[in-house]
Amino acid sequence: MAHHQVRLGIPGVRGADQPAFDSHRPPSPELIDDCVHCGFCLTTCPTYALWGEEMDSPRGRIHLMKTGLEGAPLSESMVGHFDACLGCMACVTSCPSGVQYDRLIEQTRAQVERRYQRSAPDRALRAAIFTLFPYPRRLRVLRGPLRLAQRLGADRALQRSRLLEKLSPQLAAMQSLAPRLGRPERVAEHTPAVGERRAVVGMLTGCVQREFFPGVNAATARVLAAEGCDVVAPAGQGCCGALSTHTGREEEGQRFARAVIDTFTDAGVDYVVVNSAGCGSAMKEYVHLLSDDPGYAERARAFSARVRDFSEIIAELGPVAPRHPVGGTDAQGVPVPVVTAYHDACHLGHAQGIRQQPRALLSAVPGMQLREIPDAEICCGSAGVYNILNPEPARELGDRKAANVAATGAQLLVTANPGCMMQVAQALERAGRPIRMAHTAQVLDASIRGVRVP
Amino acid sequence: MELADILGGACPVRQAGPGDDVDGVMPRVVATPGSTEQTAALLRTCHQHRLAVTTRGRGTRLSWGRPPRRLDVVLETTAMDRLVEHAHGDLIATAQAGLPLADLQAVLAEAGQQLLVDDLVGGGTVGGLVATNACGPRRLVPGAPRDLLIGVTMVRADGTVAKAGGKVVKNVAGYDLGKLLCGSYGTLGVVTEATFRLHPLPEATSWVEADVPMAELAGRVAAVRHSQLVPSALEVDAAPADGDGTAADRARVAVMLAGTAGGVRARTESVRGLLGAGAQQTDPRWPFRLPGDDRTAPRTSQEPADRPVLLRMTAALSAVPELVRHATAASVAVRGSAGVGVLHGRLRGSTDPADVADRVQRLRRWCTAHGGSLVVLDAAPHLKQAVDSWGPVGGLPLMRRVKHEFDPAGVLSPGRFVGGI
Amino acid sequence: MTTQAGHPSDPERQASVLRGADPAAEVQAQREPAGAPASRGTVAQVREDLRGLLPEEAVLTDPARLATYECDGLAAYRVTPGLVVLASRPEHVAATVRACARHRVPFVARGSGTGLSGGALPHADGVLVVTSQLRTLHEVSGEDQRAVVDPGVINLQVSQAATPLGYYFAPDPSSQQICSIGGNVAENSGGAHCLKYGFTTNHVLSLDVVTPDGEQVTLGTRAPDAPGYDLIGAFVGSEGTLGVATRATVRLVRLPEDVRTVLAGFDDTDQAGAATSAIIASGIVPAAIEIMDALAIEAAEAAVQCGYPEGAGAVLLVEVDGPTDEVAHELAEVERICREHAAIELRVATEAADRAAIWKGRKSAFAAVGRISPDYIVQDGVVPRTALGQVLRRMSEISAEQGVRVANVFHAGDGNLHPLVLFDGGTEGETERAENVSGMILDLCIEQGGSITGEHGVGSDKARYMPRMFTDEDLDTMQLVRCAFDPDGIANPGKIYPTPRLCGERPGRHQGAHPLQETGVAEIF
Repeated sequence: MAHHQVRLGIPGVRGADQPAFDSHRPPSPELIDDCVHCGFCLTTCPTYALWGEEMDSPRGRIHLMKTGLEGAPLSESMVGHFDACLGCMACVTSCPSGVQYDRLIEQTRAQVERRYQRSAPDRALRAAIFTLFPYPRRLRVLRGPLRLAQRLGADRALQRSRLLEKLSPQLAAMQSLAPRLGRPERVAEHTPAVGERRAVVGMLTGCVQREFFPGVNAATARVLAAEGCDVVAPAGQGCCGALSTHTGREEEGQRFARAVIDTFTDAGVDYVVVNSAGCGSAMKEYVHLLSDDPGYAERARAFSARVRDFSEIIAELGPVAPRHPVGGTDAQGVPVPVVTAYHDACHLGHAQGIRQQPRALLSAVPGMQLREIPDAEICCGSAGVYNILNPEPARELGDRKAANVAATGAQLLVTANPGCMMQVAQALERAGRPIRMAHTAQVLDASIRGVRVP
Repeated sequence: MELADILGGACPVRQAGPGDDVDGVMPRVVATPGSTEQTAALLRTCHQHRLAVTTRGRGTRLSWGRPPRRLDVVLETTAMDRLVEHAHGDLIATAQAGLPLADLQAVLAEAGQQLLVDDLVGGGTVGGLVATNACGPRRLVPGAPRDLLIGVTMVRADGTVAKAGGKVVKNVAGYDLGKLLCGSYGTLGVVTEATFRLHPLPEATSWVEADVPMAELAGRVAAVRHSQLVPSALEVDAAPADGDGTAADRARVAVMLAGTAGGVRARTESVRGLLGAGAQQTDPRWPFRLPGDDRTAPRTSQEPADRPVLLRMTAALSAVPELVRHATAASVAVRGSAGVGVLHGRLRGSTDPADVADRVQRLRRWCTAHGGSLVVLDAAPHLKQAVDSWGPVGGLPLMRRVKHEFDPAGVLSPGRFVGGI
Repeated sequence: MTTQAGHPSDPERQASVLRGADPAAEVQAQREPAGAPASRGTVAQVREDLRGLLPEEAVLTDPARLATYECDGLAAYRVTPGLVVLASRPEHVAATVRACARHRVPFVARGSGTGLSGGALPHADGVLVVTSQLRTLHEVSGEDQRAVVDPGVINLQVSQAATPLGYYFAPDPSSQQICSIGGNVAENSGGAHCLKYGFTTNHVLSLDVVTPDGEQVTLGTRAPDAPGYDLIGAFVGSEGTLGVATRATVRLVRLPEDVRTVLAGFDDTDQAGAATSAIIASGIVPAAIEIMDALAIEAAEAAVQCGYPEGAGAVLLVEVDGPTDEVAHELAEVERICREHAAIELRVATEAADRAAIWKGRKSAFAAVGRISPDYIVQDGVVPRTALGQVLRRMSEISAEQGVRVANVFHAGDGNLHPLVLFDGGTEGETERAENVSGMILDLCIEQGGSITGEHGVGSDKARYMPRMFTDEDLDTMQLVRCAFDPDGIANPGKIYPTPRLCGERPGRHQGAHPLQETGVAEIF
């Protein structure tokens, strides 16, 4: 599908002594003003939890933005503190004053990407990430044994950045999870509703989700159909741009966004359903991302309003398909309990405010015993590509999360984001406490079909 | 010019006589100011002449601590005995230092209220309460006098009048001088008025008492402490066995409950269950008395040589039952709050100074090792000379500096307090 | 003025800071004690001394990083510290303070930086000692009913760690999920439940402190009634002017058998206040009694959708806790009294989640006001409880006369008012009017025999009000303690007291033992 490149006249000047931000969408002074410096964000911020430093807290980063607006240069230390933010948005949840930190950090990151000269290895690593992840076909090359790495080794960018070395734990995790999560199943372009049709929904199949968790997509489509949705999964769809936008690659993100809007507008659907928290949250924010684009501002607004998370749409429509036990039944026909911990993906809980719906849906599954994870509001450290760019804090946060998950005594961990799934799985392996993992859609799918959770 | 004449301009002054000594040290005169202003005038003059002053209320605990190093004037607060304010709607009361506690409680009771402190010696005043910070079983919930004192008017050694705190319970403006004065034995200034937070008198109270084998003491006490029955007091009492060096084999435990009639009734039953067979509802007097003081009649004056060795021992809560055992083995009768971790002890047996000092020292080492302390509150003069009353004190150099700032000339009860302060 | 929210980037405000018209500048001007030694050193000297003693990354000098520490929870006052030290061991605190003492450089301690009186406002030529990385829970014991914690440990974490054992840490300031124990100690923090359970000062058994000369001293023992002066009583609430706490042993309280929270809606605060008085008069000591007025309700609803009774002019929040029987009895009493005082709606929460929902509105109220006003001042005054009605009426008169909106949130049980004075700093003259109203409210509290601060502290913000509440002699006497701990006035100078006391020569400080000490020692056998 053709999409036009709109030049918005975004400045591209870089320089050490320049003020941190230029006039193209700097962090908004009005939004910064909303912060009353109360500090309620501190303890829910993963980096503050790790390091206990003001400049690595939301309040401190807002302070840095403010000094940047006042003319301070974009110094290495300042960029370092912005980069260290996981973008988990726990601070948005905890803020009593309603500070829109999500928008502030996005605006800031775009400025940093445009105006700050990163070191050569860092640039190469970022370039490599973004030539790989948003492209399902390129990702597909990575499926299969890691010896494929040699083939990838031909890619010079990858070589320079030693991306593969940094990626291999991720790839290993994806590899180890993929088979368990099911055979490669493709989602059909059109899946008809079972019984009475209640809605026509488009489905974003995603990049990592499509290539490494195809079972999740298949389950999503089946559950949607079982709940009365005609499911349209346009074959030509690309990346939603979440990774780019959340990393400050504004133009790239906008490019992806326009394409996605075009694709689903053409599909003529009531809703666009997403089963990956990060993607869903980015798509709900297209309205802000494209607000300066005269050709897309209105369309983006309409599009964002139609985006629904998987659990959100099921709860909204009201589940009708009968549920069956997912852990089997005992001799008396009583469902065998499945002790389950539900992990709130940050981009679902904090960014989209969706916490209650998945819990309600899971609790309605016979035999399901839901446990809450201590310190649930703290990020697992995955955060898009954060764990590749900042492996050390990511690993530490993963270990903390694993310990908290293990403390619940759950046999099954359910979450709604591929990044979290890989991150937590790895951490639990490290801790020697591996447990089964599933996406909410997979649990509901199993329940509707009356089979055990994969 | 006689001393009485020099000071007479400030307030009524008389020559000191028998019974005016402070732990054996005779003053030259006794002054009885009737107000904060008179107290200020008196102290100003004393300060000019570098006269050493010790403050006295009813003198019920005047021998506690060390004897003063020098003494010229006993400042008696008994003429300042008014209840300044009782704001019953606000649950606060302001009283002058010389007001007997019993009188204060009587007035408060008419409004259904109380100052939640116990006077274990009996007959004490508001000022004495602040000076010693001494209290009894019902401190378990509200804390010690230092926790109930919310405002104070004091006169400094040089006659400067100052107040701190106020008459509202919640107040963090400025340093809390009241707490510093609580338990300072009159070495930092003379308290002339104090404001306290009050509590409503409960609708009902009850006591449950049990006599338990020493081996079971820890379990019973822990059960009550860990219960959610909110006891108002949790007391233990044990006397040393007759033979020297063996611990008591039994102890008394008493638990007080307060609240609504129905609630107290139900909780009384629960506590009986926790204390085990033989636990009974009683009306014991002993928790309100110091160990060894099972008087029925009002206390009469004692010959100094007969004054018992009175200890205050503290330890981490879990160590309290063991402290009871340990103390009784050292011939100390113990009684106090197992819920707070503060016990009083009365040393029995040998009155040989060296022996007493040695036993005190050993017991102190035990208390210190278990997170607490041991203070010899009182003893006969010849024994006091032999023992270290206070033991090790954390932050002593800081305390000396505080004393030096408040009383640079060293005229307020010099020598009575820790480290010779 | 107390908390002034927002507008950190307001150019007006920035400019006024530069011009010195801002209160922050005033504070700065007050900072040098009259008798301060002429020989103050520099932070560069301190930094030099710390080389090798502290990890490199513990000492911040980067201007951008330093700037993030320029204010605490009271953002109206801003001073960029000369140096920031992130202590991760008590020895780091001691080494830093020792270096400061050597060069007579001021230091300011800071925990989570959530205080509302500017108590942790840094000194431009001084060192900010941050304790937020000192956050080990050393011991949490049900057996001994105590916890031993580092100063950077978060208040709520203590209770969370103690809850499985059946205990909790009683002081619960609204900021309990973020404020640190070190800050609680410095400010003598209270909270909604201090009506029944007391303040931080009632729950501290022992403190390790670094005194302003850099000495590490343990005050108190792990049992009450330690011999000697109650220096803990003086230290707790001294707002960092007597030293830095590096470890605290605090008491834990047994969790109550039952807790019920009543939420009652009333037509106005008068009725809610009358109900409060009636509850207290009935002999009940609730765990908490809170009142919020219509404006405060509006803000809280906007922020956290707490679902308070619709159309209520005031909500009264009463929590009773204790043994089940007593709680049932007290609850019935509270409900009866509320009905008698024409409560328009009455809800009782039994489950922890429902109680939390009710409390959420109250605990987020301050910051939530940012949703209904561009700027606001959080005031903190205390009046005798029986004067509440009168004071509230007078406050609404002042509000009407001055044309300044005032939202009210208060701990009604102990007469602690938190009027929130709303204004828009962008509108000519509004800031001054708001500050004026804020000051009038404090005067009202003093007139009634109350206090200028119930729990937020004096800090930088209210030092100038201290002479309205205390005489020169009172303030001089308090500062005797300061002189004993910190004769050079380097510990958080400029806070609490508007005029520093000139400390006399401290004999023996540098030349061996004090004469008193010698005499004293001679008495101990």
